[in-house]
Amino acid sequence: MIASSLAIARKDLRLAFAGGQGPVQAVLLGLLLVFIFSLSAAPGEHFSAQQAMAIFWLCSSFGVVLIFSLLFRFEEENDTATALLLSPLPVQGLWLGKTLAGLILLLLCQVFFFPAALVFLGLDPGDNLSGLVLMVLAVDVGLCVLGGLIGAMGQGQGAKDALLTIIVFPLQVPLLLGGIRIGVGLMQGTAMAGVSDWFGLVLAFDAVFAGAALFLFPHVFRGE
Amino acid sequence: MMSSGSLLTLRGVSHFFGSRLIFKGVSCELAPGSIMLVAGSNGAGKTTLLKIMAGLTPPRAGTVERTVKDRAMAFMGHQTFVYPALTALGNLEFWNSVYGRGLGDAALLGLLDRVGLKGFALESAGTFSRGMAQRLSLARVLLVEPALVFLDEPSTGLDTTSQALLHAELEAARTRGAGIVWISHDLDRDLGRADTVLSLGGRGMSYFGPAHGFAPEGP
Repeated sequence: MIASSLAIARKDLRLAFAGGQGPVQAVLLGLLLVFIFSLSAAPGEHFSAQQAMAIFWLCSSFGVVLIFSLLFRFEEENDTATALLLSPLPVQGLWLGKTLAGLILLLLCQVFFFPAALVFLGLDPGDNLSGLVLMVLAVDVGLCVLGGLIGAMGQGQGAKDALLTIIVFPLQVPLLLGGIRIGVGLMQGTAMAGVSDWFGLVLAFDAVFAGAALFLFPHVFRGE
Repeated sequence: MMSSGSLLTLRGVSHFFGSRLIFKGVSCELAPGSIMLVAGSNGAGKTTLLKIMAGLTPPRAGTVERTVKDRAMAFMGHQTFVYPALTALGNLEFWNSVYGRGLGDAALLGLLDRVGLKGFALESAGTFSRGMAQRLSLARVLLVEPALVFLDEPSTGLDTTSQALLHAELEAARTRGAGIVWISHDLDRDLGRADTVLSLGGRGMSYFGPAHGFAPEGP
């Protein structure tokens, strides 16, 4: 299953970058949000760490919706979803491949969001960069696990993006809250032990969403 | 009971769309090395029946038994199942990975050669005509080396050369022992290739038996 999932992820990344497009829409929307929020501060005034982290995760949250909408659109053209269902690939393997591709694309978007937040929002990352990277990975995994499941739900529906938005955002709240609190803590010099409760919460949601996705994805993707 | 050696057996299969009956009591068997032609007017439920046979749609009633594993089944229909943004070779590389066939580029190019697309291997499938995309779809079917093939009017949009190619490859698959279920609207052309016919009509199965005993209804 792992080999097939990697094949799905590889194929999705190739399709995402075919024509030089990639996750451009998600990156541009995120950068626009950062820029617009930066205008809300008076010249010389800085955002608090909490405000800056909240804006960073808002960009990531919108990015997830756009990325998974794109990834599942690939299976609508020429009905390749049916071909995948007929293949020996376990349907959960398809979810895993989509989630992995989504995670890579989201991390790529954040490579642009983070410096933009440094420049426009005055975000100060502090000294614990490895802790921040761990936090971003932990929250991203949860966002993408959820995106992979909900993205399949909107497949073939005209109101896909609206459906994604309505269902995804409320479910993302614990992860986003965890990301903001851990990020603020680490940037203000709190040791990892000091934010372990929030880390535990994020990892717990990662696990719960992954379990739910493994169980529900086959039904959702088959449209049962 | 399934006959020994049967690749596919349906017993009393019925299906509804909502509360509307599509067909009921469909029973049939497909032997290895045989072609079953599925006939019927528009809306009779041929495509739905094919999806039920392939395991894509569960029947409301009845049973479907297949003795073939998923990795030995192939489906070819109106849709080409082609990723337009990938090259022809890229499409085959992907399905090669998904089916775990482990074929190298030379073998994949050989498949493209069989369907007359070797010269287009590195071209984006999005630039292909309907016929070329359907040939690529045929290459995907050949890659699987299927024991059970489901065809939903695969000749649609194909020129005579492509149709001849499709028929030759299907004949080769039958000779190899594959079972083929084939939806066709062109009974005059395809009836002679079939061993059995399953005809849908009157919300049920109007005929299942040898192809030579089947008399198509007039217009």
